[in-house]
Amino acid sequence: MKNQQLIDHLFRHQYGKMVSILTRIFGLANLEIIEDAVQDTFAKATVLWRTKIPENPEAWFTTASKNRVIDLLRKVDADKNRIKKISYGPSAISFNNLFEKEEIEDSELRMIFTACHPKLNTKDQIAFALKTIGGFSSNEIAAALLLKPETVKKRLTRARKAINEKKINFKFPSKNKLPERLHSVLEVVYLIFNEGFHSNHQKLLVRKELCGEALRLTKLILSKEELRCGTSYALFGLLCFHSARLETKVDENFESIDLKNQDRSKWYFPLVELGNQAMLKAADYIDYSTYHIEAAIAAEHLKAKSFEATNWKKILELYQELQQVQNSDIVSLSMSIVLIQLNKNQEALEILQNLKTENLEQRTYLYYGVMAKYYKSIGQIKKAVNYLDIAIEKVPNQVEKNYLIKKRDRLIVL
Amino acid sequence: MKDFMLIFIGKEYTDLGLSPEQMQERMGKWFAWNAKMEEQGVVKHGEALQPEVRRISGPKRTVTDRTAAELKEIVGGYYMVKAKDLDAACKIAQDFPDYDLGNTVEVREVMVFDNY
Repeated sequence: MKNQQLIDHLFRHQYGKMVSILTRIFGLANLEIIEDAVQDTFAKATVLWRTKIPENPEAWFTTASKNRVIDLLRKVDADKNRIKKISYGPSAISFNNLFEKEEIEDSELRMIFTACHPKLNTKDQIAFALKTIGGFSSNEIAAALLLKPETVKKRLTRARKAINEKKINFKFPSKNKLPERLHSVLEVVYLIFNEGFHSNHQKLLVRKELCGEALRLTKLILSKEELRCGTSYALFGLLCFHSARLETKVDENFESIDLKNQDRSKWYFPLVELGNQAMLKAADYIDYSTYHIEAAIAAEHLKAKSFEATNWKKILELYQELQQVQNSDIVSLSMSIVLIQLNKNQEALEILQNLKTENLEQRTYLYYGVMAKYYKSIGQIKKAVNYLDIAIEKVPNQVEKNYLIKKRDRLIVL
Repeated sequence: MKDFMLIFIGKEYTDLGLSPEQMQERMGKWFAWNAKMEEQGVVKHGEALQPEVRRISGPKRTVTDRTAAELKEIVGGYYMVKAKDLDAACKIAQDFPDYDLGNTVEVREVMVFDNY
């Protein structure tokens, strides 16, 4: 017997592939039946592969899903004609070809465009993408996004309903709509990544999975010629740069480690290299995006041999550029931190005073944290402590709370 | 050496709502267990059972169709193993991967009839 190991996440990734192919055949209206059917195939594999894992597990899934199609055909009578069209229509792609690598990727990309359709609500888009393409269960999505499982189920139902009601097609967007549609796809991918990167989720594994999924989706997007552009390469570069630091962001007790105290020797430099290559490719295209600027900022941090060696001046310029195209409060907040690093405290304060904290929503605590940083910088420790107290009160998550409490306690000693 | 049957009782994976990732993980554990038993030469054979259940009961031979989802627990499969005694057989059953899901293993010795 061959003691063969399966590729990590094979089942999860196959789930997305199979659901996508079957949706291409049966249509989005049958999505629920399809997802159940695919789930059944996995249950079968789980039992069947206990004694012997097939030589080519992916091929096994392909065959199993094909057979499942035929099973489904018998059950969903109405779709008999559709399958005939796909198999025998003169211009249509043949049934068997649908299971070839290129066509599988094509189906997955259609699913990504469906999930990120502008007619769906953003929050629903993320849940739906993680479920149908990512192969995460609703419980896993809930755990990853720190939501209740019922909330995720509601979002999934709402997404499916919207797809049916708004008659969204399982197709690539037309050429003139492609740039805009691609933009919303990349944004959802970016949000999925941020959920992993910034969430301060207790489990590093969960964070890695979300970040890994975002990277996988971006790679998939870049596999198709028409979807390659400066923006998509820049997003890939940005995600690589951030991912390189992921492991050093928390310590063994799941406590946050800020940039200043991260072990720079543990940053994962092969990913930095991959990011650099992506940024070079991005430069071959004329389109320019906020991802370019954000990637440049991340690259500056990675370049610095130590926190003290950071080129804050360059980073400030990049933030100023970013603010011109995306004037958001979170960008202003980051900029004020950079200004404090540069000892431009007065300028930092002006920005902070003009911020609308309500726009920061659950991240309001960050504002109070930066206020504390400002007062510490000008030597008013007592005020700094006061602001940290407010930050501690407002912070929604325990990991970050512990971090702030430690920070405050260190200040009190001063 | 005596023959023992390890009978697996509990819920089906699909009814427990396991995700693809979790199923892969479970499968890996079953695979490792099976490989270990084969290496030790203790496993004779085993089968997994389909989740559809048809029960026939009573003098009228009443037939009821059930699915695993409706039943609290069903027999999901079995292994036939060789072991010195019941304790040794239970030791083999320690590696059953699904205790954490609330599933159980029933260990039974196969009855041997003497030929008089």
